[in-house]
Amino acid sequence: MVAGLREFALRSGDGSGKPVLDESSGEELMHVQPSVAVALGNRPVEFPGTLYITSRKLIWLSDVDMAKGYAVDFLSISLHAVSRDPEAYSSPCIYTQIEVEEDEDDDDDSDTESTEVLDLSKIREMRLVPSDSTQLETMFDVFCECAELNPEPVDEEEEEESGHNWVFSADQMDVRGGDEDAEWQISQSPTSVIGHSNGDEGLAQPMLELQINDQRFEDAEEMVHESETKDHH
Amino acid sequence: MLFFSYFKDLVGQEVTVELKNDLAIRGTLHSVDQYLNIKLENTKVVDQDKYPHMLSVRNCFIRGSVVRYVQLPKDGVDVDLLHDAARREARGG
Repeated sequence: MVAGLREFALRSGDGSGKPVLDESSGEELMHVQPSVAVALGNRPVEFPGTLYITSRKLIWLSDVDMAKGYAVDFLSISLHAVSRDPEAYSSPCIYTQIEVEEDEDDDDDSDTESTEVLDLSKIREMRLVPSDSTQLETMFDVFCECAELNPEPVDEEEEEESGHNWVFSADQMDVRGGDEDAEWQISQSPTSVIGHSNGDEGLAQPMLELQINDQRFEDAEEMVHESETKDHH
Repeated sequence: MLFFSYFKDLVGQEVTVELKNDLAIRGTLHSVDQYLNIKLENTKVVDQDKYPHMLSVRNCFIRGSVVRYVQLPKDGVDVDLLHDAARREARGG
């Protein structure tokens, strides 16, 4: 898994110009958007090109330069949005932010100037400008779908040591796992789930206080103090 | 699942999402999923100096893993209830 934006020029040899995907890991092509320009950071827009959206990443391939193309994994895309504000950018586009590894020597502007040597891995913003701006909503929706297909990977080892294994008592309940399928909830539920148990009646009971009046549980110090006090009477 | 349920109840309210890269975005909570990916509507960037280019995007999708904080409306939070629910959730409820 490569973080951030990178070069990508692996095209299939069948003449279709399509990118080569990692089918062994189940990567699928989700959407193709022809006639898309790309603007990396503050750099001038590059055109013409075709946008390929796969289940794992976003690929932009130049239509004229067969060696030019860029790719970024959805895991690295922090946010995406439809931008229609002419003050923000001259053309309506999909605006994306790319997560980059922070370097201490990073100078915010140096990497986005139109210099000869471009470090793609430092690009933080990318705009995709379709020639047909009516396609923006469709593109936004596909981006959302693909982002949902790429949640943070959970390390098997990590899961063992995760917060779910906090121990509160010797007879702790088994931890239950979460749902596998992503589901978007956009309507308000009629009643709040806060304040209601998840069905485990035991935990919904108020805590009972244990009253133990056995002297054997008294602090040793207290007992000594008591007996001393008694002696002074 | 607690915060997924909690955010579902907050849909329609105005929240401010602060990302790990310090960007803060205010908007109406449109929807949330189990990974706490967040969709906001009518978004406005809170600190416009750092990312001037995304001044006003109408909707945005924010990846759950890059969220640092979600600032909630003061009146929208019952702290005690949330506190108890979080404690139950941590115990495997």
